Amino acid sequence: MGKSAPASIPPTDPDTGGGPAGSTEEGTAPDPDADPRTESADAGSPRAALELSGVTKHFPLRRRNTVALDGVDLTVEQGEFVSLLGPSGCGKSTVLRLLAGLEEPTTGRVRVHDRPPAALVNDHRLGIAFQQHALLPWASIADNVALPFRVAGRPVDRARVTELLRLTGLEEFAEARPRQLSGGMRQRAAIARALALNPEVLLLDEPFGSLDAVTRRRLNFELARIWSEQRITTLLVTHDVEEAVLLANRVVVLTGRPGRVRHVEHIDLPRPRGGRLTREPRFHEVVDRLTALLDGDLASRAGADEGATAQTGRRWLRRRGR
Amino acid sequence: MSGSGAVLRRFLGALGTVFSRYWTVLALLLAWELWVRARHLNAIVVPAPYSVVSDVFDNPSAYAGPLGHTLLNSVVGLALGMVLGLWCAMAVWFSRMLSGLLTPLLLVMRSVPVVVMIPVVARVVGFGTPAVTTITTLVSFFPTFVMVLSGLRAAPTAMTDVFAVLGASRPMVLRRLLLPHAVPELLVALRLTAPSAVLAAMLAEYLLGRSGLGTLFADAVVFVAPQRAWGAALIATVVSVACFVAARGVERRYAGRFR
Repeated sequence: MGKSAPASIPPTDPDTGGGPAGSTEEGTAPDPDADPRTESADAGSPRAALELSGVTKHFPLRRRNTVALDGVDLTVEQGEFVSLLGPSGCGKSTVLRLLAGLEEPTTGRVRVHDRPPAALVNDHRLGIAFQQHALLPWASIADNVALPFRVAGRPVDRARVTELLRLTGLEEFAEARPRQLSGGMRQRAAIARALALNPEVLLLDEPFGSLDAVTRRRLNFELARIWSEQRITTLLVTHDVEEAVLLANRVVVLTGRPGRVRHVEHIDLPRPRGGRLTREPRFHEVVDRLTALLDGDLASRAGADEGATAQTGRRWLRRRGR
Repeated sequence: MSGSGAVLRRFLGALGTVFSRYWTVLALLLAWELWVRARHLNAIVVPAPYSVVSDVFDNPSAYAGPLGHTLLNSVVGLALGMVLGLWCAMAVWFSRMLSGLLTPLLLVMRSVPVVVMIPVVARVVGFGTPAVTTITTLVSFFPTFVMVLSGLRAAPTAMTDVFAVLGASRPMVLRRLLLPHAVPELLVALRLTAPSAVLAAMLAEYLLGRSGLGTLFADAVVFVAPQRAWGAALIATVVSVACFVAARGVERRYAGRFR
């Protein structure tokens, strides 16, 4: 948990003595059709699925260079769920866009399965969901979920689409248009679309950022359930501390302007993680500690008054997030 | 009994709506009629609206043929122009080189009034129907090109990002995202060009056609039949307005599905 440790520590934390998070990780192996993942996991040392080394990213802004990321090292192992946590504008979305091949790093190296991100994109092995659902308004929900098949030039696997709609609780709305659904349902459809081609890597950029607190919480539980069933290597970008902690094996906290990795927190809370866990002290202990970190970053005085800062920090973040 | 009453009431309601919306047009017609009668103006100077309308209704066969020709000319020209505009917009979106080649050319073409182009067009494609079709095509081409191109370029970033991450090829992005996204713009172009296509067809017919409302108008002027000439103008106006209303209806009905 060293502050500057590049986040390359394997997901199983020795401190917990076979902690529940770690044991589930190895114990309930992924489903049989996820062959490549299982094999490489069995092969011994977990291979890095996502890797950023020494990445800086500059954006030209009114004839001046803005440094979005400054020397970021980040590794996500196979089948790991990592949350990238940070205040608005700290470059966490940039990390995700680099991994999706939507941006090129100014310096440093971005690798996905030891290849440039474009390789995975060209193989149609990457799933992504944004804060804006980006569903096609003229297509039904089923057709939206089937879009990756069409884009990849493959025949649409109707059974897979139905399965995904069931997984995301949208079976009854297969023929509805996105406009006819609530915000939460649209985000679920966007996640179903991201999962359509059994991606090796799932990138989520604040997928629930525009939802109300209640819906967001419910979708967090659902995403946790979906992830436990599929065990896809996932990177979630969020500014919501509870969301980050609830879902992840590891939380990576970024500082703002320029973005640097400030802290890496292993989350050893047991899975499945449900509503009861979020009311337990150990959950709040982690959330408060991370919130204090973020708050310290904002006020540039980390750990001044733990309790009070954590509280105001969380409120501040929430308000900012809405 | 109650049925016929309901029909009558609906009819009166519709009449009321028309009157409340278009009373300015009716007032203008009435003023025109009164002015002609009060000043005892000769029909060669200005025919009264009543005489024009009665000429149309008394000789429907004289108008029906030319109207059919004009409608055919404008529909063919409109369709060709819109298809051409669509293709050019796609070409310009697709290739920077084509964009550099086409855009200035099209801008120059746009800045030249249609009337000026007519003799040139007649030289190139000859008189008669080909010239009329060419003019109508040119008129419908430009709005479609501009609107569709802006539609193709205005797709939300989140959507283009999703397609990029899904590994979509450019033709795939065009087909699955950009073209459906540009449908509302195409419908706006239809609303803008449908009425002017009718008028452009008529203008071309007037100047170098051999059939249609424009020719009817030209002949009526030559043979000093003011009622016939004004009748042709009246029909052109009505058809043009009807095209606008129809195109607007199509736009309202379908544009919403694509946004």
